[in-house]
Amino acid sequence: MAKGVVKRTFTKPIGKENPVFAQILGICSTLAVTGQLENTVVMCMGVMFTTTLSGATLSLIRKLIPGRIRMMVETLVIATFVIIVDIVLRAFAPDIWRQLGPYVGLIITNCIIMGRAEAFALNNPSGLSLIDGLATGVGYSYVLIIIAFFRELLGTGELWGIQILNPDWTNWTIMVLPAGAFFMLAIFIWVVKGAIIKEAQDGR
Amino acid sequence: MKQDSFFSLRVFPVLFMAAITLVCITVVTGIHLATEERVRLNELVFQRMAVLDAAGIDYPEDDAEGVQDVYEQRVSSENGWYTVELEDGETGYVISVSGAGLWGEIELRLGFRENLEEMTGIAVVSHNETPGLGARIEEQWFTEQFRGKRGPFEAVPEGTAEQEDEIDGITGATSTTEAVKDIINRGIREAPSIVGED
Repeated sequence: MAKGVVKRTFTKPIGKENPVFAQILGICSTLAVTGQLENTVVMCMGVMFTTTLSGATLSLIRKLIPGRIRMMVETLVIATFVIIVDIVLRAFAPDIWRQLGPYVGLIITNCIIMGRAEAFALNNPSGLSLIDGLATGVGYSYVLIIIAFFRELLGTGELWGIQILNPDWTNWTIMVLPAGAFFMLAIFIWVVKGAIIKEAQDGR
Repeated sequence: MKQDSFFSLRVFPVLFMAAITLVCITVVTGIHLATEERVRLNELVFQRMAVLDAAGIDYPEDDAEGVQDVYEQRVSSENGWYTVELEDGETGYVISVSGAGLWGEIELRLGFRENLEEMTGIAVVSHNETPGLGARIEEQWFTEQFRGKRGPFEAVPEGTAEQEDEIDGITGATSTTEAVKDIINRGIREAPSIVGED
């Protein structure tokens, strides 16, 4: 495996082809779980675990999967890993599990994971798919963590449940509502596309 | 195997799907069985902590066995409600109530002294309120303000409750506050008939 391929596989989903701000995928969870940093980090770990292992697993059996039922197989494998995350959280972090509620289960329908399985894992060797899955998870996670950072800070004056801003700070209530996530995501995409992606296009 | 044979088009996909389903089910079942006991214990401890919270009884944090010990010493479960030995040695009662919140059902435990008028506290067992707003009904400052008060309650703006029947509402979560207040007031009305049932 050429070194350049590995590096490119890893950096693409983090930068130019980021699933959230470039491909606008996985928006449902981006909006839903970014109200509090702690929940966001747990959610991101779940997504990272799932993208990495489902990519690697599907890639391992890619030559066996009949083309007509490949999406059923993908969904089944993805669902298996998500249920594992759900069970482990329920057993070892019941408080966070209670707060995330249905969103862990909804990782199954996160289009990023299905998208990477379809677009990458089915056409590439297992090791490379593992790296692609991990990088996609990282690319998804840092965007969510940045959004959650601003939403929790401005919306409650806290970070990770610890008071950061002066108690006189007036909470921006809209930030903890779903609408705040739309604003933050839009601002984030605007900044990133303005700064990074435009540069890349100008370079061509 | 030819690409378009009956086997490869019709039979193999079915067999493949069945096989992979079996593998996935086995893995998930295995993990479920391995953690089942822990999950059951988590749930039991969570329920028991809610009763102790409502009764205003201290228990060791992050210590499942400690919670169990305190619970077994002080609480006896009746038919849908609980008799509790309060911190000062007197008898108290904890009842379960639920009702509609802003987004979904809210389930609470209400703690009372023996006269069923003065409250010892409340605990939130489940809710679907907005994280960061209505979900703050879980926070300690909110649940503990009921201790030593008598309902029926009126909700006032956050930080202004002074009277015995006033509670601090949550800024930005008026509907949730009102819903919780209504559920509690109903619980206060119904407490004598719930506890007196048998």
